[in-house]
Amino acid sequence: MYAIETKNLTKKFKEKTAVNGIDLTINEGELFALLGTNGAGKTTTIKMLSTLILPTDGEVKILGMDVVKDSQKIKEILNVSPQKTAIAPNLSVKENLEFMAGVYQIPNKEAKIDELVKLFKLDEVLKQKAKTLSGGWQRKVSIAIALINEPKILFLDEPTLGLDVIARKELWKVIEKLKGNITIILTTHYMEEAESLSDRVGIMAKGDLVDVGTTEELKTKASTDNFEDAFVKIATGGEL
Amino acid sequence: MRTINFAKRNFKEIIRDPLSIIFAIILPLFLLFIFQQFNIPSENYELHNFTPGIVVFGFTFITLFSAMLVSKDRTSSLLIRLGISPMKSIEYILGYMLAILPIIVIQNILFFILAIVLGLEFSVHIIFAMLVSIVVAILFIALGIIIGSVASEKGSSGISSVIIQLVCFTSGMYFPKEALGKGFRFICECLPFESCVTIIRGIMNNNTDIISGRNVVLFFVYTIAAVICSAVVFKKKMISDNK
Repeated sequence: MYAIETKNLTKKFKEKTAVNGIDLTINEGELFALLGTNGAGKTTTIKMLSTLILPTDGEVKILGMDVVKDSQKIKEILNVSPQKTAIAPNLSVKENLEFMAGVYQIPNKEAKIDELVKLFKLDEVLKQKAKTLSGGWQRKVSIAIALINEPKILFLDEPTLGLDVIARKELWKVIEKLKGNITIILTTHYMEEAESLSDRVGIMAKGDLVDVGTTEELKTKASTDNFEDAFVKIATGGEL
Repeated sequence: MRTINFAKRNFKEIIRDPLSIIFAIILPLFLLFIFQQFNIPSENYELHNFTPGIVVFGFTFITLFSAMLVSKDRTSSLLIRLGISPMKSIEYILGYMLAILPIIVIQNILFFILAIVLGLEFSVHIIFAMLVSIVVAILFIALGIIIGSVASEKGSSGISSVIIQLVCFTSGMYFPKEALGKGFRFICECLPFESCVTIIRGIMNNNTDIISGRNVVLFFVYTIAAVICSAVVFKKKMISDNK
């Protein structure tokens, strides 16, 4: 069984087609990077896969369950770290974790929070209000919160956007620790991030999923030495 | 349980913003105190008439907080995270409402204590008025959720200020609705704020004769419509924000 399987996944906003009939399979435990230029349809795809918006056409199965019919069950087993910081600003880091544990009705709440505090080394900021944290810490907390319900599938929407190089590398380490245990779908604009972290990459352009493969496969297909050039070539259809 | 959890979070968010406390509690208390120092020759400013007005005036800041909280949650993407969680729309609305109820109770207790200190005679009807005012506050919370669902953070404070001004001018707290002519009176009678003040005033003073059928019907129609509208608009905006 695939973690995610889509058939002809389509999203239209009035006349505009944001996502155009995507067929995609993602294996359990895989880290799949979804790349594309601005407006390529990555975030809309993630929103459909994560039950936030309904597809206009096509179907999505999450661990065999239909995203429309079984959305309530699916919501229990996935989580997301959205593009913008999605934490309660006046709550401390611990209170944010407790709040989301309450949202998911986690039975052994304290143990789960302790585990996340250790994994993300959140001790030093635990009592600090979320709004006073640096961008790097806020992203870390955002991902920690997304793991509160032990999701089987985790969506990371541009998790390192705007972070300095050290904060970014620290987050990579955290994401690497999660690899294999959870199916992760990552969107990013940083090619080195996709190359370093992902098992496979999907490239989107103008709503289409134009290619899927490992970074090595995509470099070979595009006949380029580095992944950034391969991405540009594939995403633009060889125009650049 | 999810509703209580969400309400707890909302409550903490509101009380940790010191401006909230200043506007919702200290400003109305100051107004209640200061207007009693001038001996203004108008029945409107007598404690038994003015205190219910101050209670409703205090609720307009509740509209402001509710609006700011909802719009902040929208812009911070917290609602995207919650939209993916198993929380349902009704749990959001109830969570926002429950969070604000303790603030309303605190407001009421302080307003009535000050009024008693300033000379309002205590009676059991004050407690009845406090209970009824909690029901009245639902209208103002729902208005806040609607404003916060459709407007940005800055827009929310602007639109809420309009509600604050409307309450000042049309509730009859500062001057009677007849003071500015028939047209103005008609506007006051079409809006729910004068009814809110009259209902609390009538119950507090054990003078329910002043509460007309129009007051009761108008209040309930506005409140029910606002609650339904808040749920519908919030859900709709939550989806459209995520497109």
